[in-house]
Amino acid sequence: MTNSKQESRDLFPGALEMMILESLRRQPAHGYALVQHIQQRSNNLLQVEEGSLYPALQRLLKEKLVKAEWGISATNRRVRIYQITAAGMKHLEREKSSFEQMFEGIALVLNPGKAIS
Amino acid sequence: MSWFRRIFSGIFWRRRNLYDDLAAEMREHIEEKTEQFVREGMSREEAAHAARRSFGNAALIEQRGREVWQWPRLESIWADVKYALRQLRKSPGFAITAVLTLALGIGANTAVFSVMNAVLLRFLAVADPQQLVYLHYDNQPWGTSQSGYGDTSLPLPVFEQLRTQHQVFSELMAFAPLSGQKIAVRFGEEPEEALGEMVSGNFFSGLGVKPFMGRGITEADEKDHTPIAVLNYSWWTSRFASDPSVVGKTLYVKGVPLTIVGIAEKGFQGADPERAMNFWIPLQNRPELTPWGNSATEHTLYGSPEWYCLLLLGRLQPGVTWQQAVAQLEPTYLRAAYAGVKHPDRKEKQPHLYFSAVRGIEDVREDYAQPLHLLMGMVVLVLVIACSNVAMLLLGRNSARQREFGVRMALGAGRATLFRQLLTEGLLLVGMGAGLGWIFAVLATRSLVAWSGILFPVALDRNVLLFTLAISALAALVFGLAPLRSATGVPVAMTMKTAAATANTDRSRFTGRRLLLTCQVSLCLILLVAAGLLFQTLRNLQASNLGMRADGLLVFGIEPQKDVQTDAEAVRFHTALLERLRALPGVESATAMSNRLGSGWSNNTAVTVDGKNPSPTKQFAPVRWNAVAPEYLHVLGIPLLVGRDITQGDTSASRKVVVVNQTFVDEYLPHTNPLGHQIELDGEASSTGQTHFTIVGVARNSSFRKIREKPWPVAYAPFTQTSGNLQMEYALRTHGDPMALLPEVRGVMRDIDPNLPLERPETQRAQFEESISTERLVANLSIFFGLLAALLVAVGLYGTLSYRINRRTAEIGIRMALGANRRQILWMVVRESMVVGVAGLGLGLPFAFLLGRALRSLLYGLSATDPRTFVLALMCIGVITLAASVIPAHRAADVDPQRALRSE
Repeated sequence: MTNSKQESRDLFPGALEMMILESLRRQPAHGYALVQHIQQRSNNLLQVEEGSLYPALQRLLKEKLVKAEWGISATNRRVRIYQITAAGMKHLEREKSSFEQMFEGIALVLNPGKAIS
Repeated sequence: MSWFRRIFSGIFWRRRNLYDDLAAEMREHIEEKTEQFVREGMSREEAAHAARRSFGNAALIEQRGREVWQWPRLESIWADVKYALRQLRKSPGFAITAVLTLALGIGANTAVFSVMNAVLLRFLAVADPQQLVYLHYDNQPWGTSQSGYGDTSLPLPVFEQLRTQHQVFSELMAFAPLSGQKIAVRFGEEPEEALGEMVSGNFFSGLGVKPFMGRGITEADEKDHTPIAVLNYSWWTSRFASDPSVVGKTLYVKGVPLTIVGIAEKGFQGADPERAMNFWIPLQNRPELTPWGNSATEHTLYGSPEWYCLLLLGRLQPGVTWQQAVAQLEPTYLRAAYAGVKHPDRKEKQPHLYFSAVRGIEDVREDYAQPLHLLMGMVVLVLVIACSNVAMLLLGRNSARQREFGVRMALGAGRATLFRQLLTEGLLLVGMGAGLGWIFAVLATRSLVAWSGILFPVALDRNVLLFTLAISALAALVFGLAPLRSATGVPVAMTMKTAAATANTDRSRFTGRRLLLTCQVSLCLILLVAAGLLFQTLRNLQASNLGMRADGLLVFGIEPQKDVQTDAEAVRFHTALLERLRALPGVESATAMSNRLGSGWSNNTAVTVDGKNPSPTKQFAPVRWNAVAPEYLHVLGIPLLVGRDITQGDTSASRKVVVVNQTFVDEYLPHTNPLGHQIELDGEASSTGQTHFTIVGVARNSSFRKIREKPWPVAYAPFTQTSGNLQMEYALRTHGDPMALLPEVRGVMRDIDPNLPLERPETQRAQFEESISTERLVANLSIFFGLLAALLVAVGLYGTLSYRINRRTAEIGIRMALGANRRQILWMVVRESMVVGVAGLGLGLPFAFLLGRALRSLLYGLSATDPRTFVLALMCIGVITLAASVIPAHRAADVDPQRALRSE
């Protein structure tokens, strides 16, 4: 596991939850798979700390945005599989659009020349 | 409750499941990761290691995952508390000692300071008490007379003149008790005793006391002297069971029917700060109800302008200072003070007026101030010892847990967690100590009030409790947390690796403890010396020679009512009653007197012998005298030295006679035969017009006002030949138990007058015991504090020694392995204790001597450096240091060198 460690920065609050929900929207998964998935999708740009994953999952569970069930994984292992709920979907949409707005705003400020397009 | 439990346990059951799931899935995660590493080519062991490392602190993550579900802080606090309780349960000896020590320290302090505050600092329970002042005077004009406590009573003209000075006082109130003690009252059939006061019409309104029910006393009531009474709320609750229908009914006071018109505001106890009054009546102008219960043949309130009998209480106008007020009042006061004086002596010192704040207990304050300050000092020392003990206990315990902290930090506990845990443990101890201390304080305050005979309610002082609590909490926390610094400052690996043998080579810390212990021992010595001196004083007082046969005497007061008003009627009444009492089976002899012995009361006046002042160096020659019935000396067992006793033959018609005591003769009639000389008692001019008493006998000195008094010139005059003896104190010499005679005496009284109660019946011995109640209280409490201190010091010493033995087990093992024998090890521990003891004695002795000197005025029959007391205190310290070291020494000697060395 030699990862070319980019200059790592903290995610903003809610980013991890958003990525978890997005991953789960595509496909239910257990914790380990989620870590793998996020890492791959981000071309290893994002390292999800397992330490923050589980508390984040607990928060989502508590707010009923995801639900969890014990099942058997592809590697034939007893795992706890998370699934996004309807409320989770709605929450994800809201978060994504607000995130996109924010991103757009930040981009405008950082690159004023390209703003017109 | 069952549904509540179901929901409650439901929540926890769900939680439990959640937590289990979390732990399980994290375990699975790590395993999956391990497997992947294996697949990537690591060895199984390496992979497991790497997986765990990259996962991070599993315990912490799990904890954070759980916290998501928890009521944010509450549950983690609860968890801390549970953990702390578990820790304390593991060392119950430590926990119980710490809690008890704290409780005793907090409880004793709160109780003593509550009483102290009440006595010294309490304001009256009235509106704006800081505006109120008591009026006092000095230099009472010659030719006036006075009833009351010291310099507090002023005559009616002064009251009437000063109350018009509205630029100074918004209100000036007057009051006077109906007697120095309780008086006879009757509501319904049975006569009983109660405390009552006559008050001016503005008394209630001026103090800002509203009636709880009915009405108070008004200016009109004062002017018309209406026969009404207002009851104290607490008397109404206790005696009349809060029955509202008593308003409008009749209360007989000394046989005078008074209509109850109201109940005073709850909590108001009267303006006499020393005693709570049961009822109040308007100022009266009838012979039965006079201030201080004086006989109307001597003085009446409205007929005797020279009689200093009214206590005055003024409410100052806002902004008027005491100096301004006194300056403005002075001319009016001077005029009024001489209003009743027929032949004013212009050369005498001018009377002056002065104020004192309405705070605390005027008179009691002087009597109790010194002993109370002493007790306060003692209790503070006890608190210091208690706090330092708890501090040492905590310090010892927590520094012995260095290793536990190391392990916990290695497992991922942060400094904050450890801090929180130690804090919780400390607070838990203090909390339990405070809870128990509160109970102690309530009980101790109650017994303190009962013991000291304080006649007003004392509430537990919350501020004091909070203060002592804060101090002990501070001590517990500072010392409880101190080890944290060293625990978290040291690298974890070091704590884990260091062996007990080397871990505590830190001698400086132990030196600090030893110093603290030395100070404790010296404080303990001071307390023990004080306790010893005061206890010895009490013993001396109890054993002191009263100069009479005080055992086997029944005493009680009788005050005839209405139909007995003149001196002649009083003499007839009491002579007849004595006759009937003498005839009772079980009564050997009987007599009576105007002042009960040991009650603190006496008649005081100036005496002349053969027309001259027998003490020319002084302005006048003082004498205490008592009006007595026949056979006085014989009944009381006071030895007659020369001449004869007062007899039946000394009637109002016969020549006036008097018996004096030894001191009288020594001071006023030295080197002559005292018999036949004539004396005159100032202010005692009887109806016969004859003013000279002829000395017919000399009695041995005996205690008069109290056990503890200086020898004083005393004269005994027949009550038949002096005036104003309505109320008399009886003394019956009995065959058996004096108190067993009471029913028969009551029977006789019922025959004579059903309105008459026996006033304060008790044995003469008990009456004298009462006169040393303060001394007894102080002695008992100081013994208690002394022993408490000794116990605390012993516990502290024991704790420190055994803690040290534990830390030195390995060292002792080595010593033994190198050939030290049992006795040497024993001696090593005992010596350590003895060193502390001897150092403490050295430090404490000078202070103990100083304290002894400071206590001198409280001591009786022994010197401030009483060798017996000092030796006893020293021996006590010796015993403590020895006893505290016995168990640790044996434990040290029982160390098995093999085990001690191997245990590392």
